[in-house]
Formats: sequence, C-alpha cells, structure tokens
Amino acid sequence: MSDAIVPDPVAVGSASRESAGARILDRGYRRYDGERRGLRAAVKSLAVQTMQRSLGIRRSFWAKVFPALAVVIAYVPAIVFVGLSVLLKDQLDQAILRGNREILPTYGAYYGFVWAAILVFVAFVAPEVLCTDRRNGLLGLYLASPLNRDTYLVAKALAVTGAISLVTLGPPMLYLIGLTLNGRGPDGFDGFLLMLGRTLLAGICVALLHVSLSFAVASTTTRRAAASAAIIMILLSSSIFAEVVVNSGGLSQNFLVFDILFLPFELVYRIFGTGHVDRSFAAMSTWTIVAAYAAWTLAFAAFVRYRYQKIDVTR
Amino acid sequence: MPDVSPSFAARAAGDPVVTGRHVMKQWGSKVALVDATFDVQPGITGLLGANGAGKTTLFGMILGLHKPTGGELRVLGLDPLRAGPEIRAAVGYSPEYHVLPDDMRAHDLVRHICEVHGIPRREATARASDVLWQVGLGEERFRPVGTMSTGQRQRVKLAQAIVHDPALVLLDEPTDGLDPVQRDDMLALIRRVSVEFGINVILSSHLLEEVERICDAAVMLFDGRVVASDRIDHLTRRTESLLVDLTDHASEVADRLRRHAVEVEVDGLHLVVRPTDATHASGVDLHDLVRDAVVHAGAGVRRLGARRVSLEEVFLDFGDGHQHAHAGAVPGAAALGDTPPTALPIAGDALEAGAAAGGDR
Repeated sequence: MSDAIVPDPVAVGSASRESAGARILDRGYRRYDGERRGLRAAVKSLAVQTMQRSLGIRRSFWAKVFPALAVVIAYVPAIVFVGLSVLLKDQLDQAILRGNREILPTYGAYYGFVWAAILVFVAFVAPEVLCTDRRNGLLGLYLASPLNRDTYLVAKALAVTGAISLVTLGPPMLYLIGLTLNGRGPDGFDGFLLMLGRTLLAGICVALLHVSLSFAVASTTTRRAAASAAIIMILLSSSIFAEVVVNSGGLSQNFLVFDILFLPFELVYRIFGTGHVDRSFAAMSTWTIVAAYAAWTLAFAAFVRYRYQKIDVTR
Repeated sequence: MPDVSPSFAARAAGDPVVTGRHVMKQWGSKVALVDATFDVQPGITGLLGANGAGKTTLFGMILGLHKPTGGELRVLGLDPLRAGPEIRAAVGYSPEYHVLPDDMRAHDLVRHICEVHGIPRREATARASDVLWQVGLGEERFRPVGTMSTGQRQRVKLAQAIVHDPALVLLDEPTDGLDPVQRDDMLALIRRVSVEFGINVILSSHLLEEVERICDAAVMLFDGRVVASDRIDHLTRRTESLLVDLTDHASEVADRLRRHAVEVEVDGLHLVVRPTDATHASGVDLHDLVRDAVVHAGAGVRRLGARRVSLEEVFLDFGDGHQHAHAGAVPGAAALGDTPPTALPIAGDALEAGAAAGGDR
C-alpha cells in the first residue's frame, strides 16, 4: 500500500472530477475477513521458512558458510566425474574395451564422496533448526499458533529432510543424469527409471536417519555447538564401538547394527545392489540392515517427540 | 482444520472472551491454580499477580498448551483442549521473554507469524508492513531484530501478536524492561489495540498502576487463587471518604474538621477526610463540613472529591485475606474458592462498604 495520493492532472480545477478521481489511502489497522488457511498452511509456511534459514537464505554471511560448504563438497565430485566422462569419453570406453573395470564410481559408491558433506550438514546445519527456536523463544510463538508440538516437529523434519536432500539426493541425481546424457548411464529407459527410483530411495533413507539423529541430539540442548559436537561424537563412537565388539571382541557381525555412521551407507549399497560399504557388513542380511535402520530412525524420532512433549513453552 | 473466525462472532455477541469455572492446575506436587472462577469480558483485562501467582500458567491453558487438572475453561466459546488449533488461530500471544531471532528482520518475523496463523502470503506481507507502522516501527521494519532496542523489540512482539487480526491477544508483561517513557507509549499502544483495532486484550502484569491505567477489568491471582475478578471501576469503588487538595492552611482546615468528630489525615496540603459514627449520627454532609472549614480557614481548594480505593489497596487487602484464610485466622475462609471473588470483603475498607458515595463536586 502506498501513502502517495496521485492527483489526476486532468481533474485539477474541477471539484466534481477531483472527488470522482480521489482515493484515500490509509495505513490503518485493517480487519481481516478473508480466508484463513489452517493447519496445513501453517506447516507449509514453517517448513519453507525453516528450509530457507537452514540454507542461510536471508541471513548473514556466516550463516551461509556451512550449508554452502556442504553443497560444494557434495556436488563437486559429481561435476568432476560427469566432466571426466565427457572430456575423456573415448579413453574411458577404450579402457573398458581393454577389460579394465569402470573407472567412474558406481551410484552406490558415490555416497562415499558425499559422506563428508552429509556429516557437515547433519552436525552443523540441522541442529540449528531446533536449538535456535527454543533458545530465542520462537517455539512459544509457534505453539501459540495453529501448530502443536507434533505438527511443529513434522514441519521442521520436512524442512530439514528437504534441505539435507540437497546433499543426499541432488548430487547422485546429477551424477545419474549427467552420465545418462553422456551415454554412460543405465541401459534403456527402464534401467534409467529403476536407477532413478533407487537413487531417490537411497537419498531419502540417508536423510531420514541423519535428520532423526540430529533432532534427537538437538532436542537435548539449546546450544548448537554442543549439539554439533555430540552428533559427531555419537557417530564416531558408535562406529568405533561396533568395530571393536565385532572385530576385537569376536562377537557376531550383527552387532554392526550399532554402527550408525556406516549403517545408512550400507543400506544405500543394498538398495543399489553393488557391494558393501565395508566387508564386515557382508555377513548381515538386508532385512537386518533395514530393520536396524528403521529401529534407529524411529527410536530417535520417538525420543524427539518425548522431549518436545515435556517442554514447557510458556515459561 | 476448518476456516475459523471466532473473533468476529465473539466480538459481535459481546459474550465473555474467556470463562473459567473452578479451574485447577497442578505441576506434580506444586499447585499452580486453585479453583479459579472468573469471566474475562470484551475489552482490556489485566491479569494481576506476583511472580509465580499462576499468570503464565493460565495463559498456557488459554492457548490449550496445558491441560487443566480440573474445572472448565472456555476461550471464545470453545474448549481449548478440543479446539486448540482453532483457538490459537484466533489468538495472538506476546511472550514475556525478550529474546527473538536476532538475525531476522522485523518484517520477515511478523510476516512469517502471520502466515503461520493461516493468512495467505501476499496478504501477510502487506499486513506485516501495516502493523509495524501501527506500532511505530515503520522506518525500522527491515532492521534485524537483534539491532533493536528493548522498546522496539516489545513493539515487534506486539506487532506479531496482532498481525493476523486475532479476536484476543495475550500480552505477558508487555512493559517489562521499558523505561517510563517507553512504558507510557506501550500502554497507550495497547489501549489503541483494544479501542481502535477492536481486539480483546488480556494483559499479564505485576504492576498494578499500569493495569489500573489502561484496563477495563482485572483478574487478580494470589498464590494460584483468583481473589478478585471484576471491572476496574467496581474494584476501585468510591468510598465515603473525601480527598481534599488545598492551596494553603491545611492544618487549620484539619483542626476545624476534627472539631466535628471527623477523621482527618494530613499529608502536606493533601487531606483525606473520613466520616465517623458520630458524623453519621449527626446527619451532616461531609462535603458541607469541608466547605465550611475551608471558608473559615480562608484556604483555597484545588480538588475536592470522593476518594477511590486504589487497585493496590484492593490487591493487598485480598492478599491479606487470602493469607489469613490459609492461616485459619479469618472465619469462613474455607469458602474463599467457592465465593464469587467480587463478593469477598475487603479487610481495610470493609467499614466503608455499602455506603453511597457522593460525586465529585
């Protein structure tokens, strides 16, 4: 709304025409009798705003550093490999004809290159979306809206899953599409669709466990730095623990389900059906992997929900 | 959730905005609210009480965030537990704490809260600008909240609470941390929100003076109990006593009045004149006595009028009564919770109750 009253030059000097063309523009408080869009719109609005903030949009330079770093780490390998496949197409073809194995990584193995990006995102970006709201009191404002604790968490989870998909889903998709356009992708349209489905599933699976872990840790503290440190510690210590009890302790390899650092990546290999993230996982059945993955994800999610039911937001 | 605009029905009907009947709330072994019975009528209502009296707990229950341990609460005619999202869509809330996202621009924050309350984005953008203008932050609206003063942040909090055109706004200690000038501005703004914008306001405060200044009614909480709930002009009723402000000769006027068996308190040029049983028995009008004493003393009168009980006196009296009740010192104190709060006797001014007060002359 503008404050300016723009007179009609033709009407100047003519009272009747002045009044006919006059407009009163007021910046007063206005009643709102229009549509109120309810809970779904509230969830969408919060999810969009959270995703923007987690990516540093409309925020300071420093708030953009970690998301930008994660995106760069995740996409550079895909760009490099696709570039290599274009620039060295003939050499790569001849190498394969000579019986050498494919130099470019498999789709499942590509996650090894984005592992660091996922870690950066999970440890440094995701906790902020929960910690900050509790620290600065925005949680109280949200829960004084049509949102409740569950729908608030759903909106936050959607936002972070969407944001983290930039690194878990975007680069493998770029890699798949880049190679396909260059003639090095899956065979046929059916093959492409199958690989596309696997890529989508893998990206979402990797995102979900990491988001639930990140939220579980973030629900225990309002300090993002503390949450970041704890997430890294949990991931590394779980891997070390599983490695020790299986390899040094001689216990069943099923104890590798406690390795939540590599468990989601092993699931990715199983989805693509190409090898294992580590030979130790080879003895485990896919169903064990899937069950462990689901159990961890649900356990972390249940913990977050429990924590948020206990938070008193009006104090 | 259906499209709800309970604001407009409640405004039109003039029904109570919030009603509580024997509401109780316990946090573990700690009792936060005891048998709270009250009505909040349209307008501005002050929720008065010391820290820990249960004000914020009551706000949480109005928003449907806390489940009452007992009793019944209705907000805009709806049950907060069953219709929480619908109620919260039509209620604005400004919390007590001062922290807001420092790196977020005021306009972005207000627009976002408006959208979360269900207003479409384009409308929310326009309303955010308009409301920030209304609260006096027109030129500052694109500044990050972290760069704003305490007074400006309080205005941002108020703006986000009213941006979606709520039927009811809950303001938790809205003048906390403000200097006297900022406090006056904020109180005037809150009055505008109710009178000009037509939004019902419940204002939580422990400052009696500000509630007395701008509120139409008050609900007084003491140690989790509602000890009074009524219109301010009923609570601060006129008494039989007179307030007399003189230009000079105060002690001479006081002496002359005392000769007529009248109690007089002198504070500089300020007199409080109270009738006694003897005054009542003589049938003499207190105003006439004051007039005669002033004329004989040759004093000038700046002000002469019926003395009102201040909200502070009311609160302290109710508080005393409540404490006595718990100590077993007041007979019948067990009925505190069952008795309509406005019917409670006021310890200090009970002698004056029921007497007709004369108007200002």
